[in-house]
Amino acid sequence: MHEVQLTKADMNRLVMDYLVIEGYKSAAEEFSQEAHVAPPVDFDSIESRMNIREALQRGDVEDAIVRVNELDPDLLDTNPELYFRLQQQKLIEYIRQGRIMEAIEFAQEELAARGEENPEFLGELEKTMSLLAFEANSSAPSEIAELLSPGQRMKTAGEVNAAILESLSQGKEVKLVSLLKLLSWGETMLSERADIPSKVIL
Amino acid sequence: MSRQVAIPRSASSARNIEDIIPARSFTNRSHTSPVRQPRIIHANVDHPCLPAPVASPPTTRTRRSSSTAPRAPRPPVPPSSPVSFPVPAYLNHSSLRHLLQTDVSPTLPITHRQYLSSTDSDDDSNVSPPPRDPGPVTSLDHPLQLPTRWDSETCHQHLSLSDNGRELTFQSASSTTTDSNAAAARTVQPIPPACGIYYYEVKVQSKGQKAYISIGFAGPNVRTSRLPGWEPDSWGYHGDDGCSFATEKKGTAYGPTFGLDDVIGCGIDFTTHRAFYTKNGVFLGLVFENVGKGIDLYPSVGLQHTGESIKVNFGHEPFKFDIEDYVSEQRTQTWKSIINSPLNPSIFSKEKTASSPSNVAVSDEQTKLTINKLVLSYLAHHGYVKTARTFQKQIQDVEMFDAYTESTFAPGSGPGSASASTSHTPGSLEFDFERDISIRTKIVDSVLSGDIDTALSETQKHHPGVLAAEQGLMLVKLRCRKFIEMVLESAELRKKMAGSTVEDREDGVFGDDMDMDVDDQTASVNGATMNGSTRHPSSSSAKAQYEQALETAIKYGQALDKDYRKDERPIVRSIFKKSFSVMAFYDPMNAGGVTAEVAGHEARVELANELNQAILKSQGRPTRPTLETVYRQAAVSIHYLGMTGVGSAAFADMQKEFLEG
Repeated sequence: MHEVQLTKADMNRLVMDYLVIEGYKSAAEEFSQEAHVAPPVDFDSIESRMNIREALQRGDVEDAIVRVNELDPDLLDTNPELYFRLQQQKLIEYIRQGRIMEAIEFAQEELAARGEENPEFLGELEKTMSLLAFEANSSAPSEIAELLSPGQRMKTAGEVNAAILESLSQGKEVKLVSLLKLLSWGETMLSERADIPSKVIL
Repeated sequence: MSRQVAIPRSASSARNIEDIIPARSFTNRSHTSPVRQPRIIHANVDHPCLPAPVASPPTTRTRRSSSTAPRAPRPPVPPSSPVSFPVPAYLNHSSLRHLLQTDVSPTLPITHRQYLSSTDSDDDSNVSPPPRDPGPVTSLDHPLQLPTRWDSETCHQHLSLSDNGRELTFQSASSTTTDSNAAAARTVQPIPPACGIYYYEVKVQSKGQKAYISIGFAGPNVRTSRLPGWEPDSWGYHGDDGCSFATEKKGTAYGPTFGLDDVIGCGIDFTTHRAFYTKNGVFLGLVFENVGKGIDLYPSVGLQHTGESIKVNFGHEPFKFDIEDYVSEQRTQTWKSIINSPLNPSIFSKEKTASSPSNVAVSDEQTKLTINKLVLSYLAHHGYVKTARTFQKQIQDVEMFDAYTESTFAPGSGPGSASASTSHTPGSLEFDFERDISIRTKIVDSVLSGDIDTALSETQKHHPGVLAAEQGLMLVKLRCRKFIEMVLESAELRKKMAGSTVEDREDGVFGDDMDMDVDDQTASVNGATMNGSTRHPSSSSAKAQYEQALETAIKYGQALDKDYRKDERPIVRSIFKKSFSVMAFYDPMNAGGVTAEVAGHEARVELANELNQAILKSQGRPTRPTLETVYRQAAVSIHYLGMTGVGSAAFADMQKEFLEG
C-alpha cells in the first residue's frame, strides 16, 4: 500500500501551527521546548493578537484599535475594509451601551464619509443605524439583531486576527482544520464511488 | 453515504483504509484496454499502420482487418531516436507528479517490481516475469506514462507518422474529399487523470485549401477513419469552421478558424472534465462537458486532405500558452473549494453520525473542539506533559472567557445572541490525560531506568490485561528484563569491587544506585556498610555484595526458567536464550553489538516503547496518535482517488499544503 511520508517532526509542526494561529501562546511556548519545535513566529506577537481578540470580545474596540496600531502601524491604513469593520463594531458597542447621542455623533463624523466611498460600507452602516429604531427587547429582524450578538464580536475579532496573520505572512488557514476538511472531502468522494468501506476515526 | 460502514471505535486502529482495501481491488481502468508501447517502424513491415482493432486483446492485435485497403509500403525509416523528455513543468502542480513519467524504456522501474514482491506476495503476477504492460495493477504507486507520441499501431493508414512519432502527414492517392476520407491518430498512452490538467499543442505545418483538421481527444475505441468530435467518445475543435464537436456531426460555434502555422493548444481539466483550447497562446475558453468521464482519454488529431500535416508538442518544447500559470491558478481554486467545503459529520464518531443526519454541516465550534481533543491526545500520546497541561488549562480559560462575555449580554437582547450561546459548555472537553499520562509515563520511565519491579506492579495494577495478553508474553519480556537488570547490577558491583582496590576516593557509590530492588537485598545482608555513605566499603564487603547480587540474580533466573520451561513458543525460547547469554559478558551494558541490543539502554527503550504501545492498545486506543492517523488516512484516500481518476485529488497536494513552508 502507498507509503505515506510523515515524520513526527512534521506532525509536531502541524500542531505548532495550530497552537500559534489559535493563539495558545503558553502551550506553544511549552511545546517549542518539549518537542524541540522551532517557533514559527515571535511568541509575543501571539499574545498581542490574543489581547486584541479579547479586547474585541469584551467590546472594547478603542483598546483593540490602539493595540492593532502598536503591533502594526500600517495595517489599518492599508486595509480600509478592516478599519471600517472596527469602526462599525465601535458604533455597535455605543448602541449596545445606550449611548445614543455618542453613537449618532460618531456615525456622522467617522462613518458617513466612508459609507459614501463604498456602497458595501453604506449598506452595513444603514443596517447598523437601524438598530436605533428598535427597543432592546423588541423583535428586530434577525439580520439586524445579530449585530448585537456575541457572534458579531467574534466575527470582527476573527477578521482582525486573519488580517494580522496575513500581514505577518503567517498562513491564516489553520492547517489542522484544512486537514479535517480534506479528510472529510476524501471520505465523501470515496463513499460516492465504490463499495470501499469508510472508516470512523474521530 | 449509505454505504459507509460504521466500525467500532475500539477496532479503529486496525481499520485504516490501508488495511481495509485489499491491494488487488485497485485495478486501474487504463488496463481494460491493451496498453501499447511505441514501436520502431521498419521498412520490411508491410502494413505498419493498421486500423485500430476494436477492444481486442494484445495477442490478437496483429490480426489484419479485411477492410484494410492495400497500400504502398512506407519509405524506410531509420531507427527511432529516443522520444523521452523531462516531464513538463506544469505537471509539477499535481500531487502525484513523482509518478508521472515520459520515459518509455521497456524495463520496468525497479521500485515497481520491488513493490509487487514486497506488498502483494500472493499476487500471481509475481510468478510470470513482469511484462512491459504493467498487467493487472496491484499497486497504487505504479508509474503513470504520459503521452509522448502518436501511436503507429492505431493511426489511420492514410497518415504517415514521422520517426519521432510527433508529426503526421495525410497521404492518400484519392483526391476526392469526403468525410470517409478522414484519418485520425491518437497517442500510445492515455492521459493519466492524475495530471489534474493535461495540455498539448499542435502546430499546423501545411494544409489543403481549408484546414480540415480536428484537434482534441478520443477514447480507446474510436474509429480512426473519422475526425475527432464526430464519433462517440471523441471531442474536437475543427480548423475549417472553428466549431467544436462533441460526438456530433454538426458543430457548435466555438473559436476562430485556424490554419497554416497556427499553434493550437488543447487541454483537459480532470477536476471538471471540461476541455479548453488556445490559439497561438491565447485562451479560447472552456468547452464540452463530461470529457473522458469513465473512459481512458487520448490526445487525438484528425486530418482530411492530402498534404495536410501537423506537428505535436507534448511538452518537450516550450508551449505557446502559459499553461503553468493556468494550472497553478486552477490548482489553487480546487484546493480552496476542497477546504471550504463543509465538514461531513460522518467523519466524527459513529454515535454522532447516528444521531444527526449527514447533511447537517459541522459548526466551527465543533470543529475546534474536535481539533483541541485531537491535539491534546497527541500531546499526551507522546508524553509532552507540560504542553498538554498548559494547553488544557488554556482551553478551559478560553471557554470560561467566552461564557463570561456571553453572560454580560443582556438577556433577550436579540434572537442572534440566543442562538450563538447554545453551543458553549465550559469544560466540555473531557479528557483525563493527567491520570492516563502520569501512570503511563511512570511505567515507561521505570523500564527506562531499569526498575522493572515498579513497571510490573504498576502495569499489573492499572493495566493487567497488558501482562496477560498473548499468553503473558509481555510478562515474560518484563521478567526476563528484570533478570538482565539483576545481572547488570551484579556486573556493576563487580566493577566497583575491582575499582575499590585501586581507587579510594569514590563517594556514595551504593547510595546512588538506580536499581533499588537489588540494592535493598544487598543492603539487608551488608546493612552496616550500606548505612555509611561517607565511609568507603572495604574490598571484602564489596566482594560479598557482588557475590550476593550474582547469587540472587542466578536464583531469579532459575526460578524464571522453571516457570517457563514448558513454554515452547519460539519467541519465548529466543527471549530466554538471549537473556541468559548476557551472563557471559564481563560488562554487558557496554559490550556493544548484539549484547548491547539485548542488555543495553536501547533494549530498555525498545521494551518501554513496546509496553507503552501495548498499554495504549489495551485501552482501545490507537497505537499511533489519532491526529497522525487522520493525516495518513487523508493521504491514502487522496492518493487512491488521484490514481483512480478523480482529477481534483491531484490538486490536493498534502506535502505542499501541510508539510512545506
